[in-house]
Amino acid sequence: MKNYLYNESAEFHVTGEAIYVDDIQVNEQLLIGKVVYSPYAHAKIKSFDLSDAKQVKGVHAILSYKDIPGHNQMGPVVKDEPCLAEDEVTFVGQAVFLIAAETIEQCYEAEKLIRIEYEPLEAILDIETAIAKGSLMGPPRYVSRGDVDLGLKNSKHVIKGELRTGAQEHWYLETQVCLCIPGEGKEMKVYSSTQHPSETQALVADVLSINRNEVVVEVKRLGGGFGGKETQANHTACWTALLAWATKKPVKIRLFRDDDMIMTGKRHRFLTRYEAGFDDDGKIQAVRFELNSDGGAATDLSFAILERAMLHTDNAYYIPNFSVTGIVWKTNLPSNTAMRGFGGPQGMAAIETVVDRIARYLKKDPLEVRYINFYGIDDRNLTPYEEKVENNRLYLIYNQILESSEYKKRKKEIDEFNSQNEFYKKGIALTPVKFGISYITTFLNQAGALVNVYTDGTILVNHSGIDMGQGLNTKIQQIAALEFGVTLDRVKVNATDTSKIPNTSATAASTGTDLNGMAVKNAIDIIKTRMSEELSKVFSEKYPENPTKPSAIIFDNNEIYDSENLDRRMSFTEATKLMHLRQVSLSSTGFYKTPNIGWDKLKGKGKPFFYYSFGMAVSEVLVDVLTGSYQILRTDIIQDVGDSINPGVDLGQIEGGFIQGVGWVTTEEIKWDGKGNLLTHSPDTYKIPVVSDIPKDFRIKILENAPNLAETIRKSKAIGEPPLMLSLSVWLAIKYAISSIANHEIEPEFSLPATNEVVLLSIEKLKMRAVKKSIA
Amino acid sequence: MKSQITFVMDGKITTIDFVREKRITPTTTVLNYLRQLPNHKGVKEGCAEGDCGACTVVIGELKNNRILYKAVDSCLIFLPMLHGKWLITVENLKSPDGKLHPVQQAMIEKYGSQCGFCTPGIIMSMFDLYKNYILPSRADVEDVLAGNLCRCTGYRPIIDAALYACSNGGYDHFTEQENSIKDYINSIPKDSLQIETDKQIYFRPTKLIDAIELKNKYPDAIVLAGATDIALRVTKAHELLNTVIDLSEIDELKNVVEVNDEIHLGACMTINEVKKNINHNFPALFDILRVFASNQIRNFATIGGNLGTASPIGDTLPVLLAYQAKIELQSIDGKRIVPVNDYFIGYRKTIKRENELITKVILPKQKNNSVVKSYKVSKRKDLDISTVSAGFKINLKNNIVQDIILAYGGMAERPKRAQATEDYLIGKSWTRDVVEKAMNLIQKDFTPISDVRGSAEYRRTVASNLLLKFWYDTKIIE
Repeated sequence: MKNYLYNESAEFHVTGEAIYVDDIQVNEQLLIGKVVYSPYAHAKIKSFDLSDAKQVKGVHAILSYKDIPGHNQMGPVVKDEPCLAEDEVTFVGQAVFLIAAETIEQCYEAEKLIRIEYEPLEAILDIETAIAKGSLMGPPRYVSRGDVDLGLKNSKHVIKGELRTGAQEHWYLETQVCLCIPGEGKEMKVYSSTQHPSETQALVADVLSINRNEVVVEVKRLGGGFGGKETQANHTACWTALLAWATKKPVKIRLFRDDDMIMTGKRHRFLTRYEAGFDDDGKIQAVRFELNSDGGAATDLSFAILERAMLHTDNAYYIPNFSVTGIVWKTNLPSNTAMRGFGGPQGMAAIETVVDRIARYLKKDPLEVRYINFYGIDDRNLTPYEEKVENNRLYLIYNQILESSEYKKRKKEIDEFNSQNEFYKKGIALTPVKFGISYITTFLNQAGALVNVYTDGTILVNHSGIDMGQGLNTKIQQIAALEFGVTLDRVKVNATDTSKIPNTSATAASTGTDLNGMAVKNAIDIIKTRMSEELSKVFSEKYPENPTKPSAIIFDNNEIYDSENLDRRMSFTEATKLMHLRQVSLSSTGFYKTPNIGWDKLKGKGKPFFYYSFGMAVSEVLVDVLTGSYQILRTDIIQDVGDSINPGVDLGQIEGGFIQGVGWVTTEEIKWDGKGNLLTHSPDTYKIPVVSDIPKDFRIKILENAPNLAETIRKSKAIGEPPLMLSLSVWLAIKYAISSIANHEIEPEFSLPATNEVVLLSIEKLKMRAVKKSIA
Repeated sequence: MKSQITFVMDGKITTIDFVREKRITPTTTVLNYLRQLPNHKGVKEGCAEGDCGACTVVIGELKNNRILYKAVDSCLIFLPMLHGKWLITVENLKSPDGKLHPVQQAMIEKYGSQCGFCTPGIIMSMFDLYKNYILPSRADVEDVLAGNLCRCTGYRPIIDAALYACSNGGYDHFTEQENSIKDYINSIPKDSLQIETDKQIYFRPTKLIDAIELKNKYPDAIVLAGATDIALRVTKAHELLNTVIDLSEIDELKNVVEVNDEIHLGACMTINEVKKNINHNFPALFDILRVFASNQIRNFATIGGNLGTASPIGDTLPVLLAYQAKIELQSIDGKRIVPVNDYFIGYRKTIKRENELITKVILPKQKNNSVVKSYKVSKRKDLDISTVSAGFKINLKNNIVQDIILAYGGMAERPKRAQATEDYLIGKSWTRDVVEKAMNLIQKDFTPISDVRGSAEYRRTVASNLLLKFWYDTKIIE
């Protein structure tokens, strides 16, 4: 009997049999689509002529905005993103025309023959310019508590500063892709690599001007998402649907890697300003943050991301007087979008910088400053937005990791090493993560399911979530098997399909298992109740004097039995056959909404999160002082996942998320030129971590015996995003190594990512300042 | 026979006729060919430039009656390069009885796949590891897998899977098939290829003299051996390469011979072959070859190709300058040998005449009293192009600099020596004071540019610091 807990698709992955959108077999009519995009960051479109391009052999359609039957709009929240540019382009990579041809070569040929005249306009390409020009995306947001001015005034010490955190490209291995197959009448079947099929469905219907009941979006699996396919997969889907609609043929668009990187948004870069007051012990009295986010050319999810950033500038620390202002600036770059952590990393990088600076200022181990500022258990446990930090596991994890990582002993050794080595320096840092779980936009916290049981005893589970590699379907399969008391081989998880589960939320915010697991359980509970009621009748037939109570029926081990009369039992398969004969429905929908949460974004108060996830990391690095290059020698992580549904999957999320974060804080640098062209548009110049970049010694533990006290599916906790931010330990360990050059007496210049260049130039400046200081 | 190639795939002989096939040309990549087939969708395109490894396949080559298994990025090789070879894809890894290959089984059990998109490529690199290493170390695993990007797992489970799987001496169902595969390969004629279509002509000569004559007849022809650089002109720039001369099957260009005090490397030796042959004599070259691109690229890219491309940031070039290597060039008019130092004359410009081919790289053996070191500074250690690279040589007597070569890549439009700094150092004591003075002179030798890989300021600082590093690395020896 097959009862393994490995990834349910693993065998298809390793044999190459797993089917992604680009692998779907289509008939010979399939056309290849290509997007023609703007080469200007900001320009007027004065005129265009497609006539020559349309003559190219094999070209079936070339579309401009004029050919869109419905709304020329694909903004997910705010309608500020045209599907195809009309008279103005606002970033390099903005779609202007669409081509469908029999081969990609014919698309290239046609593209060369398109004539278009642009009149370049002034472009805003960075946050500073946007601030100077007042280029706001919308009104600023505020969260505050206490009196920051007074708090700062009453503080013995005050520091001020600025931090830049960089953009990050998702670099899903599978680029944006969609296949559309027109059906009869107005039907459109959409195979999209999307994290949000319902929104994809809605936008496709909108651009085609058809009803949503004509559009079916099906998603089997994603070759990675990381937030990059939460809203921006919609774009490729809309373009593909337009071409399929125009040609009445199947059309596929798969973005070439460079085009994907040029056209799509990234993690928002932030320019953060801060001011913090504290006492001699390092206890924080007051902090003021100003978060300036580069939204790009359109709103997308920028405000939701900003909110999450703002609500994570406290991270694990209680700050009595606190204020954060968040501003999204509009620039002429592709609209920045969701990426794993969703603002959390930018917020935490800010407060961790503050804490690290306080420690250097007071000549203390940053560990001590962190510890005394942690949220309390019984007091000091209210966040600035007034949610209580319940079930605080910071102290539990802190004590465990301090011991298991031997932090104090190693720090001594590192200081010793640094005093004896001029050209190599080591650094170490411990950083905590407290991450709020739930969509901050409360209504999104809902999910649906449709569970079918067939009369051979097998189960087909449909749910509204997307498996993008995070192991959602593996966990759902386990949940369904456990709830039905059957072995895993009986359960199959279906492709996500908008005709099965309507009106869903994106799979995002780490909530996939929390929401969909509960929805599936709800559907199963309904079916089990029906079966139990009917089976109690069946079991009671022979025992009218001692009938079976429906509540005594147990589903376990591929059997159903009366727990009070153990001889009354039936195999699960037999029961399904019997239910059919007795006209009992073996299919049910399920639904779940997260209870007891709410958020008032205008007041900046509420209980946005169902619960918090906690984790900590200790990282040690070795920096080459002469080149600025470095390696991670060791990382220890302890992460709270509640009761793990699948430790293999959860470990994978922890280490995978952590390494993605390591990329963000180290080598992943996005650069544009002075005209808004992305310079790092391929893996040749954009460097995500490879196998040799991970810690040489990598010790990850799931916090043991720590069931979630909030009522979640099988007492588990969300795991997708929190570990990413543990990578700040690597970033601050590098800073510690740099800082040791001036004996930790001078605050080094530092930004994120800490590329070799950032590190080396920081070292050089520090050396010069140290010399000046010694002369003075 | 013209316009056809023959190779082994899916356990049988496969023939492609370029005149008959509508959607295939002689410069169609193996990736694009496989993706057109209904049963080879396991191979994925992640970047089409050899930087992600999602398209990795393994090529089986028959050499001295042994089959060599080499992973390669299928986006970087053209179909005619398969002629006479065995193409192994992820679909072939299960044994005929349906049992998973040990590397596949290990990847499942160690949770080595998440989204699964990079997995087929990782499996194929791991298969290369399985066939070429007995009990690999973690360093070996990193060496072979650094060409495969994975965005989900954080690699730890993949390393575990590789170490776990590669523990039974490389034996698998491929071992059992080898005899019949050898028969297939031997049945394919070894003669030169000349594929002509209405738009292109692709030559793959097997004799050097034929190649020289072809280059004379078609001076504008694209010359390639591994294609790992040239392929980008097709996959990324969408160029049509009209005439191609492929040197990859000329055995005369793949030999290594020792002549007196010199090692002669055939220009078409792959980076991995060079790496195997020069370890003891040329450690600085070995060091740089370890961080040269990825295993998949090192399996096909050649030492001659790196000189032919003549990029100012070519990994091998500064260290070849430091070793005072020479290059043999041949044409119909004869051969000439030129020092590497005289070879580069500008941005991607060399003294190579249009009818010449690079045929050898000659490395003089080093005298005992000289030390050569190489350095590569890049954003990421593996699978990256250098921001600054260096090859340094020093000859000390009583701690006085007798000779010094300071060759840099990434600091000028061509690989270049720091002449003023060298001149200053000769005759001086090899002390920190002197070196620190010399570091300032590096600024006079170069005016680097700012580009996507690094600012001019960073390049200047690194270039000076590398000199200090060289002093630090050599100061104890006398």
